[in-house]
Amino acid sequence: MKDCCGPGYSSPQEAIEAPREKLLYTIAIYTGTGIQKPDYLATVDVDPDSPTYSQVIHRLEMPGIGDELHHMGWNACSSCHDDSSMSRKYLILPGVRSNNLHIVDTATDPRAPRLHKVIEGAEIKAKADLSGPHTVHCLGSEIIISFLGNAKGEAPGGYLQLDKDFNIIGRWENSMGDIKFGYDFWYQPRHNIMVSSEWAAPNTFMPGFDLEEVGYLKYGRELHFWDFEKKVPVESFYLGEDGLLPLEVKFHHNPDSTHGFCGAALSTNVIHWWKNEEGKWQWEKIIDVENEIHPEWPIPLPGVMSAILISMDDKYLYLNNWLHGDMRQYDISDPHNPKLTGQVFMGGLLGKAPQVNGVDVAGGPQMFQLSLDGKRLYVTTSLFSTWDNQFYPDIRTKGGVMVQIDCDPVNGGMKINPDFIVDFGQEPNGPSRCHEARYPGGDCTSDIWL
Amino acid sequence: MTEYRVTLSNRDGAAYMVNGRRPLLEQLRDQGVDLPYGCEYGGCITCAAKLVEGHVDQRRQVALNNRQIENGYVILCVARAVTDITLEIGVESHDKLYRNPFLDPLKPHELKADIATPEDV
Repeated sequence: MKDCCGPGYSSPQEAIEAPREKLLYTIAIYTGTGIQKPDYLATVDVDPDSPTYSQVIHRLEMPGIGDELHHMGWNACSSCHDDSSMSRKYLILPGVRSNNLHIVDTATDPRAPRLHKVIEGAEIKAKADLSGPHTVHCLGSEIIISFLGNAKGEAPGGYLQLDKDFNIIGRWENSMGDIKFGYDFWYQPRHNIMVSSEWAAPNTFMPGFDLEEVGYLKYGRELHFWDFEKKVPVESFYLGEDGLLPLEVKFHHNPDSTHGFCGAALSTNVIHWWKNEEGKWQWEKIIDVENEIHPEWPIPLPGVMSAILISMDDKYLYLNNWLHGDMRQYDISDPHNPKLTGQVFMGGLLGKAPQVNGVDVAGGPQMFQLSLDGKRLYVTTSLFSTWDNQFYPDIRTKGGVMVQIDCDPVNGGMKINPDFIVDFGQEPNGPSRCHEARYPGGDCTSDIWL
Repeated sequence: MTEYRVTLSNRDGAAYMVNGRRPLLEQLRDQGVDLPYGCEYGGCITCAAKLVEGHVDQRRQVALNNRQIENGYVILCVARAVTDITLEIGVESHDKLYRNPFLDPLKPHELKADIATPEDV
């Protein structure tokens, strides 16, 4: 990092040229597994020249049980690159069920992160009437976090704003408008736009997935476009049957681009949006993963696309099919016409890859993080404790795994790396489940440029 | 104050006395029973246990569907004893709590209370 500057990189291109990642952080849960231990942040050695390569080298336990750690976010990213007083030092780990926000110092000793502060769930409920935290983005020197419910777990929730010292400022948004549900969000400041998506109320998704509740409109099917400076939603797109459970939202990393993408998990489609020449936001479905026939299922099996990711050069979109068991790579150089360029199986219900590198995979590809240079994709297998327990009951005894997929960022293509696998079924306190991953130097799901 | 006896059938019949005012989770944990929990307001099923005998008041729970209730599940973080009860606790009691929603759909009367329709008689 240059002496003159704050965290991150001056541009996506500079990020691509950054040194290779040597450590990776992933959360691992015991909540809902039957093991009475706290969830934890695992440090994984991803340096092939290290004697502990492909192993968990440190575990930071949370203070109590029952958090259900899930997604994470940095206190600062490239949006603070011009602010030399800021640094990418703290990782924020929300507990979806407990409502606690854990602030973890990863800079003092990157191999052994330490707990810096806990913002108690009860304080957030009292001061901001929010529960069910999900996505964390830094916002210049401040932080906003989407919460999916109010203090009673009812939708739509809202956004909590923290200052750089992790004090609660209050609600970020000025209005939730007619938004019914919350989930993920991403912003593109040069276009004064934020896009948010919809899962469900905490009281709906936390206990597990009742398919019938989709028909009762308990799950989302809309995308929301916000005036980012005014902090109000200004336009919503009803996606209908093409957009059931629109979850992960990603804009291009190029700050001038208006193109963005969302994976609709249950419909198993990718939705693409952009601003047209008349300045109007448009959307279209660009990828539709067909349901698959399962020999023992009375109805075809949907893929369940719970995550998407855009490479730092904006050339490739990666997606998962958690129930089918495949990871896919699409060339989105023309975002209207994606081309399938890679596919690998790891686990899943179709039985196409029950083992990876000698380890049983109970679950399917779920969360993933791509290296800044676009060559290494780290993939984990657990979705959410209660949903895992419904679809993949064996994960209770086998735990989650982390797999590395080698990706070709020039010609396309992906294959499983034979030398890397982290089996969370072998953890010291018993089988745990890994989910989202982050690199100390920034990653493809954090950095936004002003 | 009226006290009730809570017997844990899968902990060698260990018994604890509780009152009817405070949730079972809090009172059992205070007496050293190691129980799972998550949200602590009745919105998630991490703390679910199976009620084998007796009755509880769990009007504050919003997590269970009617099939889970029919199968005896109670949400310990909000449930209060109204009689002596026998519970099966922990994930060993969760055999009927989770089901594959595609393979084993709910009937209209088995949905959560706010959307369930009465069973045809």
